[in-house]
Amino acid sequence: MPELADRPPSAAGRRGPKIVGFLCDWAVASQGLVRDDGTMRDLPNVTLIKIPCSGFTRPAWLEFALRNGADGVFVCGCPLGDCFNRYGNNLIGDRVEQLRRRLERQKVNPERIGALFYGKHAGAAFVDAVRAFSDRVAGMPGPAFPPRKPAPAAAGPASAAPRTGPAAQDGQAGAPAGREGT
Amino acid sequence: MYKRLLAGLLAATLRVDTLVARVYPDDFNPLYYTGGLANLFLTVLVLSGIFLFLYYTPSFDQAYTSVQFLTLDVPYGQIIRGIHRYSADGFMIVVLLHLFRNWFTERFRFSRDEPWISGMMLLTLTGFIGVTGYMLVWDQRSEALVAMTANAAAQVPLVGGWLRHALFGGTGLTDLLLPRLLFLHIGPAVGLYVFLWWHYTRIRHPKVWPPAVWTLFALGFVVLLTGLIPVTSQAPAVVSQRPQTLAIDWLFLTPYWAMRFLPPLVLIALAVVLIGYGLYIPYQLPETRSELGLKDSGVAQVIDANCTGCELCYYDCPYNAIVMVPSPNPGVTKAAQARKLRAVILESRCVECGICVGACPFEALELPRLLQKDIHEKVLSACQS
Amino acid sequence: MTDRASAYVLWIVVLAAVSLVCTAGIVWGELTGHHRLGGALIGVILLAYSFILLCLRKGGFTSV
Repeated sequence: MPELADRPPSAAGRRGPKIVGFLCDWAVASQGLVRDDGTMRDLPNVTLIKIPCSGFTRPAWLEFALRNGADGVFVCGCPLGDCFNRYGNNLIGDRVEQLRRRLERQKVNPERIGALFYGKHAGAAFVDAVRAFSDRVAGMPGPAFPPRKPAPAAAGPASAAPRTGPAAQDGQAGAPAGREGT
Repeated sequence: MYKRLLAGLLAATLRVDTLVARVYPDDFNPLYYTGGLANLFLTVLVLSGIFLFLYYTPSFDQAYTSVQFLTLDVPYGQIIRGIHRYSADGFMIVVLLHLFRNWFTERFRFSRDEPWISGMMLLTLTGFIGVTGYMLVWDQRSEALVAMTANAAAQVPLVGGWLRHALFGGTGLTDLLLPRLLFLHIGPAVGLYVFLWWHYTRIRHPKVWPPAVWTLFALGFVVLLTGLIPVTSQAPAVVSQRPQTLAIDWLFLTPYWAMRFLPPLVLIALAVVLIGYGLYIPYQLPETRSELGLKDSGVAQVIDANCTGCELCYYDCPYNAIVMVPSPNPGVTKAAQARKLRAVILESRCVECGICVGACPFEALELPRLLQKDIHEKVLSACQS
Repeated sequence: MTDRASAYVLWIVVLAAVSLVCTAGIVWGELTGHHRLGGALIGVILLAYSFILLCLRKGGFTSV
């Protein structure tokens, strides 16, 4: 897993905070909102990653983004109750809450992680919400995670919440490379 | 053409959502819970129906008077009867909303045709149950409905006479009629639950109840309506003379109104065509994901080495596409050493939503063309840019 | 408490008062045999409760 140790972890101050958003295919229609490279037309500091359902998001990926230089990260699903797959957005809503609590214990501002719920037609409201999120993140000092210690021993807190716990995506060098096999 | 129409209808559906959202928060939107509302009304119908059944006497000379006794003399009998009537209307309304919403938002796609097919059968049964319910009261309208239905059934080629006999127990009005109608009201209502089982069988967490706001609203509205517009019978049926007028309940009796203009056979053919088309709807647009402009991520795959048998994906899969089976051998990772079970994907049921991927904390599930590795790369390139 | 929230509190109080009056009406209808009125008032109470729940949510007293 590549680490970006050589670059400063926070891009804040250059052109706004670096924000990664996971956007459900069935939620806000991304035509007209997104440039070819995935950044938002109105907010070039926000990159959207399209996913098949907001419930597809592993909370570990949100943490991964924050650890690798994102200042804020959010998931956008359909309005609560209107998920194309019934409960995908409720699931990720709960998981984001759990991730926030877990990261708060690691001295990360939980407001850096967001869950938004906007339907296909609500492009304008979505952009406003992302802008508000971006502004909020811009007001937070420093990088998301405190500077890392040389030995990555982050396997501990993963067992705290089994439903959200990312399987210690850091200290897993010894794990078998099974997932590349598919 | 159809695609453009569907897109327009989807836009209209979503516009209605924004209107509702001005008053109700998103998770209170009743249009997201039409299925749950239908189940609520069905439950009310069953409970009030049991009450009515205890008082109802299915014979020519006592059917009408037993209903009148129930309405006028039993305390709150009129209220219960009204609840039964208006809940039936409410049931039909929310069922139709459910149908149209799931149609226009295309929730019949991929491997989701089974709820749709069973839903069409539920709708057909519902219409039938509604009509037989109106026949049971045995007032003028009931008699007209029986006569018109028998006439229409008899005109069906080949099986007409048999059909009429099956429905009404012979030509004319026989003593079998009302007991048979009572069964044809209650029997299919039980059948609804059989089809509901089918309706739910591919659904892991069906939204069976609406939010409390709408449970209270629906019940309150029905009960208030019962008090304001009490349900009454028409004049009792007189067998010797044919009834002249027919009070129409537009939700159930529209076909009988249409019989004024169209011959019964045309109406029956129309009903068959409509139901047939309804069954065809999920297969009308056999589009792949890439044709829809979506990424074709592929059916979810279990990475057996990492699976710990924890069942989290099994609980979260919305389509019951994951089953847990006894594991013949331990997994490879440390966490998977003690497993008793492992997850298996039923690929024909998978809609590639990836919810199992999000549910799995052990990296034991992947969408083959949207791997965790791919997501990590996208995140990194986003952070670097 | 914001202005918005206090407006919803006012509505909740009004609706609660309405349902209290309706309860009295049901008792009166039961005693005097006005079952239809009692039934209608049950409906009004249920509707009032529905809107109380809505006001609780919109005023921010309950969450998702």
